[in-house]
Amino acid sequence: MSKAAGPAQAQVARFRKSTCLSVSGLAVDYGTTRIIFDLDFAVEAGQVTIVVGPNGCGKSTLLKAMARILRPAKGAVLLDREPVHHQPTRKIARRIALLPQGPVAPEGLTVRELVSQGRFPHQSLIRQWSREDARAVAEAMAAADVTEFADRRVSDLSGGQRQRCWIAMVLAQETEILLLDEPTTFLDLKVQVELMQLLHGIAHGAGRTLVIVMHELNVAAAFADRLVMMKDGAIVAEGPVREVFTTGNLSRIFGLDAVVLMDPESGRPVCVPRTDLARPVAAQ
Amino acid sequence: MTGAVWQRLDGPVTFALPLGALGILALLVAANVGVLATSLLTGTYPIDLAGVLATLFANPPSETAETVVWDFRFPRSLAAAMTGALFALSGAVLQNVTRNPLADPSLVGVSQGAGFAVVAVMIAFPGIGLGWRPLLAFGGALAVAALIQWIAMQRTGGATMRFILTGIGVAAFITAGTNTLLTYGDIDRAIAALGWLAGSVHAAGWGEVRSLALCILLCTPALVWAARPMAALRFGPEVATGLGIAVRRDRIILITLSVALAAFAVAAVGPLGFVGLVAPHIARRIARSGVGLHLALSAATGALMVSLADLLGRALFAPVQIPAGLVTAVIGVPVFVWLILRSQARSQL
Amino acid sequence: MTAVMRQGLMGGGALLAIGALTLAFGWHIAVGAKAIPLLTVAEAVFSPDPESFDHVVIRDLRLPRAVFAVLVGAALAVAGALMQGVTRNPLAEPGLLGLLSGASFAVVMAVGVFDLATTAVVPLIAAAGALGAAVIVWTIAVSAPGGATPLTLVLSGAAVTAFLAALISIANLLDEDTFENLRVWLTGTLAGRPPGILIWTLPWFAAGLLVAVAVARQVTALAMGDETATGLGVDVTRLKALVLFAVVSLTASAVAIAGPMAFVGLIVPHAVRLIVGHDYRMIVPFSALFGATFLLLTDIAARMVLAPVEISTGIVTALLGAPFFVWLVRARL
Repeated sequence: MSKAAGPAQAQVARFRKSTCLSVSGLAVDYGTTRIIFDLDFAVEAGQVTIVVGPNGCGKSTLLKAMARILRPAKGAVLLDREPVHHQPTRKIARRIALLPQGPVAPEGLTVRELVSQGRFPHQSLIRQWSREDARAVAEAMAAADVTEFADRRVSDLSGGQRQRCWIAMVLAQETEILLLDEPTTFLDLKVQVELMQLLHGIAHGAGRTLVIVMHELNVAAAFADRLVMMKDGAIVAEGPVREVFTTGNLSRIFGLDAVVLMDPESGRPVCVPRTDLARPVAAQ
Repeated sequence: MTGAVWQRLDGPVTFALPLGALGILALLVAANVGVLATSLLTGTYPIDLAGVLATLFANPPSETAETVVWDFRFPRSLAAAMTGALFALSGAVLQNVTRNPLADPSLVGVSQGAGFAVVAVMIAFPGIGLGWRPLLAFGGALAVAALIQWIAMQRTGGATMRFILTGIGVAAFITAGTNTLLTYGDIDRAIAALGWLAGSVHAAGWGEVRSLALCILLCTPALVWAARPMAALRFGPEVATGLGIAVRRDRIILITLSVALAAFAVAAVGPLGFVGLVAPHIARRIARSGVGLHLALSAATGALMVSLADLLGRALFAPVQIPAGLVTAVIGVPVFVWLILRSQARSQL
Repeated sequence: MTAVMRQGLMGGGALLAIGALTLAFGWHIAVGAKAIPLLTVAEAVFSPDPESFDHVVIRDLRLPRAVFAVLVGAALAVAGALMQGVTRNPLAEPGLLGLLSGASFAVVMAVGVFDLATTAVVPLIAAAGALGAAVIVWTIAVSAPGGATPLTLVLSGAAVTAFLAALISIANLLDEDTFENLRVWLTGTLAGRPPGILIWTLPWFAAGLLVAVAVARQVTALAMGDETATGLGVDVTRLKALVLFAVVSLTASAVAIAGPMAFVGLIVPHAVRLIVGHDYRMIVPFSALFGATFLLLTDIAARMVLAPVEISTGIVTALLGAPFFVWLVRARL
């Protein structure tokens, strides 16, 4: 990793401009049902923002609208005060990258080929593969720690390794903003933690802005700089983790009866659901 | 992308092409030339290579030689190669844009739609010129493609499977419609249409070659453009959007392109099955390459397949000629079964 | 609803279905180049007058064709119903899963290449072909990743059908004279079939139908899954072998008479299920009745729509069946 530290340092300067991705008066429909109602929200630059909420609260829909997969029914998603849905999609792709939920690579593709695909928005018909592309792909693979299986097939890797390859792909896109939809779903806890550590490092090492949707509350609390809690298509609570991750919010938003403790090691909150079994033990 | 690469990394024009795939492409082209030469030499009228070459350079040894080689064998072999390339390209684009390894213009009814439109007009307006065939075929094929897309996209999820099954149903319906026309229509014209529907290149003359060449010329810029959006769309609509593709628009353009390629080929020689299905897979197995080079490899493979099929069909049971379409079906079906057996359950359902 | 009431309703339903079948049967005979009044039809059937031209036409031409339609329709519909139950696949049908092609291919080869034109052996050959195709299609589908899903079954059926169709066309080109007679038969037709074939197909039809009725109760259990059926005490392997026998014999009798007639086995059982529910003790007999009525009506349409030109009945069933198939794919999958 010491080799990767050099370019990573250089990238800090490249990405830490005052990028501003925000959402203003946004409403999104899915078919004929309105999923998100009149939502305002601004992403903090250079931070990891994690969006949580119960199933069907509209968190993935919000991310998809920000990534311009869904069109807003009302309002706009703004990048530097310009609506993203009205700009050339390729221009946006050089500034915002997206990792959708459960992506599937074409059969037989190698890791290097997958990661190279991240260079897509920087290439053109006559500019197919430049030195710049080669550098970005090598750096992205090093940062996501997938260089050692660069020439293996994506389909032969384990779930966690495969997800790291996809992260390398969006890193190779070299955008200041990364949007990730449930990047840790269906993975073991250990692998989830490793991935989140990687993503946290990407934000704070290289100064990129990350917006992540997930449903693992404790993992979210452990790695987020800012938490956004959604319910029924609206943002109910938003702010630094320690202010938002409270017993009251968990009960109000998730209907979860839980104790919030502070992890003495990291100083981050952890929630422990109350169960009937716990009470007699506590009473002793 | 292991192995030797021919690359140019700096300057306004940059690229990196795997040498292995380029070499295989060259081999395929050479094989095509070889089959072309063999097919010029094959037939009931005996002629040697020197005679063929002399004929091609406008110095025929005899008048019969000129007729046989220049008017019959040469345009027919060229038409075989060109339709093969068109079907293969159509299949490659369709498989890519639907993300379905089993998509094939003749399996999902696109070729049948083209055939139906041509037969209908041939029977209704017997006087119509051959020049209209490509346009008619294109219209019929496009209508079918739009219909299948419309039906399959009504509901979300499992779209891949529904697309292919819907296509099979639509193909069955159109085939029945064509059969009705053939029953109803004047028997002579019906028989002419029937020969064309078997997918035979044996009647192809310079007229077909000219219109095929024109179609290829028209489609080439579109294919050069297509390679990039295809590369991104392989990963699904969401990833492609993230990479900066206007998914809806590019998909419609690509499907139209695929339909046009198949329709032009159908217009010349009739629906010729399984080439569009099989050629892209063979091309992928014999050489690793990016999407653009894969298109070129598929075209060369398809050309070789149909040329060989035509040659076999002529030689195997001579003097009876088996239409190339039947030979490609007999060869293509086992490959199709093999594809069913190894296709990933996940990507199918 | 009590069992007695239910049985009463079913009895009434059966009477209605038989009534509809009888009417369709009479209409089928009455319609033609010369329309014959229904009364004359009845007379010709019950008290024939050898002097009457109409009676001769009815007994020698129209009656056999109507009987064939009944037999073929019933056979294909019951075969389709059983296949849908056992494979738990709404798209299963003798045509889509390649059985019709297998049977036709075997008959074409036997007649065209080996010159086995004896009517007596045609059903046997068709049965062998249908069995071969069924085994191949099933083997491909279960070996595919994900097992015998509707998609893999239909795709392997399409593959086998395309392959055999190409071989039939090639054989046809190699020996055009022999195949002249078979060409019309290959599109699925009830026109001009020799009445003599009836005696040789009837045993196959009867055997298939009998087994179908006998195993119907167990098929209902099997439709809920192999494991559930085993739990309910069904010998699944034996049952599947019996069903395969029934499907193959029924398909063979239909193909021997009328050639490959696609989609009959798809449409009818679904319509029946809408009316009688999911109990195969009801589905099997009602499929037979509805299938017979359906094919009688289809054959009337085939003769009337473009009169005086007659379309092959198989083309009409495909024109009706293919959109139904597309609808099923949309609605059920």
